[in-house]
Amino acid sequence: MRKSSLLLTLFLLLAVLLAACSGTTASPTATSAPVATTAPEQAAEEPTAPPAAASDDCSSPDVLCVGLITDVGEIDDKSFNQSAWDGVKRAEAELGAKIDYIETQDAKDYATNIGLFANNGYEIIVTVGFAMGDATLEAAAQYPDIHFIGVDQFQGFETANFTGILFPEDKAGFLAGALAAMLTESGTVAAVLGTDLVPPVVAFKEGYENGARYINPDINLISTYHPGGLDVAFTDPEWGASTARQAVDQGADVVFGAGGKTGNGALIEVAGVSGAYCIGVDTDQWETVPEAHACLVSSAVKLITDAVFDMIKAANEGTAPEGNYFGDGGLAPFHDFDGTVVTAEMQARLQEIDAGLKDGSISTGYNP
Amino acid sequence: MTASAQPGKQLSDNQLVIIGRRIWKALSVPLVSVLLALLIGAIILLISGAKPLEAYAALVKGAFGNAASFARTLEKATPLILGGLAVAFAFKAGLFNIGGQGQLLIGAIIAAYIGFAFEGLPMIIHLPLALLGGSLAGAAYAAIAGALKAYTGAHEVITTIMLNYIAINITDYLSNGPWKAEGIIARTPLVLETAVIPRIGGYPLGFGLACLMAVLTYYLLYYTTMGYAIRTTGLNAHAAQYAGIKVARIIVLTMAFSGFLAGMGGSIETLGVIGRFQPGFNIGLGFDGITIALLAKTNPLGVIPAAILVGAMQAGASQMQFDAGVRFQIIDIIQALILFFVSADLIVRKILGSSAVDEDKVTLSSGWGGG
Repeated sequence: MRKSSLLLTLFLLLAVLLAACSGTTASPTATSAPVATTAPEQAAEEPTAPPAAASDDCSSPDVLCVGLITDVGEIDDKSFNQSAWDGVKRAEAELGAKIDYIETQDAKDYATNIGLFANNGYEIIVTVGFAMGDATLEAAAQYPDIHFIGVDQFQGFETANFTGILFPEDKAGFLAGALAAMLTESGTVAAVLGTDLVPPVVAFKEGYENGARYINPDINLISTYHPGGLDVAFTDPEWGASTARQAVDQGADVVFGAGGKTGNGALIEVAGVSGAYCIGVDTDQWETVPEAHACLVSSAVKLITDAVFDMIKAANEGTAPEGNYFGDGGLAPFHDFDGTVVTAEMQARLQEIDAGLKDGSISTGYNP
Repeated sequence: MTASAQPGKQLSDNQLVIIGRRIWKALSVPLVSVLLALLIGAIILLISGAKPLEAYAALVKGAFGNAASFARTLEKATPLILGGLAVAFAFKAGLFNIGGQGQLLIGAIIAAYIGFAFEGLPMIIHLPLALLGGSLAGAAYAAIAGALKAYTGAHEVITTIMLNYIAINITDYLSNGPWKAEGIIARTPLVLETAVIPRIGGYPLGFGLACLMAVLTYYLLYYTTMGYAIRTTGLNAHAAQYAGIKVARIIVLTMAFSGFLAGMGGSIETLGVIGRFQPGFNIGLGFDGITIALLAKTNPLGVIPAAILVGAMQAGASQMQFDAGVRFQIIDIIQALILFFVSADLIVRKILGSSAVDEDKVTLSSGWGGG
């Protein structure tokens, strides 16, 4: 019996070796084609072939190459990184750019990952998340010919080849809070949030609370930050769900879920509660979290995709602003609740508030 | 629990033969495990449509391709060595320290505080002070779990896990509160120049320090009375007590030294790599220490190659993504497979054709037994 299992193992090993070898013999034919078809799984995800497949040598000045580096997180996170990547993909479709991404596993690799694009002839590099601000700034000094676009990266001073994109999270949150206060019947609204270590999350929260108070100064607010560190705060849907449930038990009938997958957990939990509503965050979560359709009246969005694409386009034309660029934000469509739950009067009121926030007559009260 | 004789415990007359056999025994399982894991990783790569050799070539290039990437590999290996030592050392006393991450975080933030707040000191005082301060903070933090174990019987696996959460929240609070630097980002100020661990010819000095600690730990365990007491406690705490060893004291001291090592790992990260404490920059390092310790079969010297292996895989992952389009998760899979084969070493032994029963086997369960 022992012998046979040994034989079997040897056979398996041989099979593996053969498989590995056959894989490599196939490779020359594949590599002789341009190196463009980098990521196989990427190709599987996006069936559309890059338009400029014939010439994709990034060292050539005729080829626009755009690289994106994610925050510690995944490219398909259904919110932050994915929205930025969608903006880069638009550059591929509309500008014929060659694009690629690197997912960061360790925050200490930011500089290394930027270097991989920078040393391979990429003209525009997009870095996603406030934590990469320092690394991007250093890279901008080191590679003056490359334009850097930093999402959520505030610039204290202007650097010629660096555009930081910021979003009015407090305004989007304010509108979400106002909507929540208009919808609630119990007079209690809740927010289930990622960690206060991330400034945009704090902006969403402060805006949300002040927006709710703007409609009803006596409103009862239950806002809860995830108690864990950065490694779990945005990837803990169970905590999001149980926290949302607690809030509902305490009388909340509108829940704002703002914190990646943690917030998504809250939305899905509220979807199972009849008579309760939920509000998503970052992108229109009607598209990304279909399980929450039963409660999702809207989402407090930041238009990351548009802003990233606009800045890539501007950088390609040499007109990208130095320092900070303010992207847009606000409420996503109301979808199934349009006109029924979110009445025309409510929508008119929200538009008034939006206008007031724009002209400065209403303050979100968020002051970092 | 399992009566597992530790390697190198007492050398008999025909030392050389035994040492030779032991080295082979110690190395064969990890080596074959790594090979098997790489082979299975290659199959997964093939299935996902990538080219295994191209991916592995990129991995090697990213980890050892030039001086800078080699330095990065060593830099990544440094906290892994110390984290691995922390786990391996505690294991010799029969303690399973899952709290490496918490001890590392405490060490990292205390080193950062000493680094940015103590002004006007010359480097020769400031740097050792910050390094030692961070390490001692880690030691004190781990000693809590040790004392709870020694005097109340609370199991260290539970207490160290709980202390990890407490450490996360303490460090988040400090870096987002009293020790927060100016600006909206939660992080401490940069440590002063005088507390930065220098690089020698581009190579991180911290790596050398970590290797030195590995040798020191080995010496402590196998060539001192204290080490003998620690290992005896690990084998059978009741017998150790009967033999006159103060088991409670040994447990607290072992945890403290284990925490010292983990805390030093965090301090080196702060002072030599990151330059400040920032939440999110030390994720997972302490937990990787468990992987390293198992891979090294809890041998303090084996921790060094194990850490370089894992450090190299982590350092090369970016290059692999860029060149071969392989997502970094494959690295996690390969790492998990290595661990799987090292733990389930019966599979590997069958392939090697050696005896299935082995004295040197690391028995995870012995940490759960008692004492």
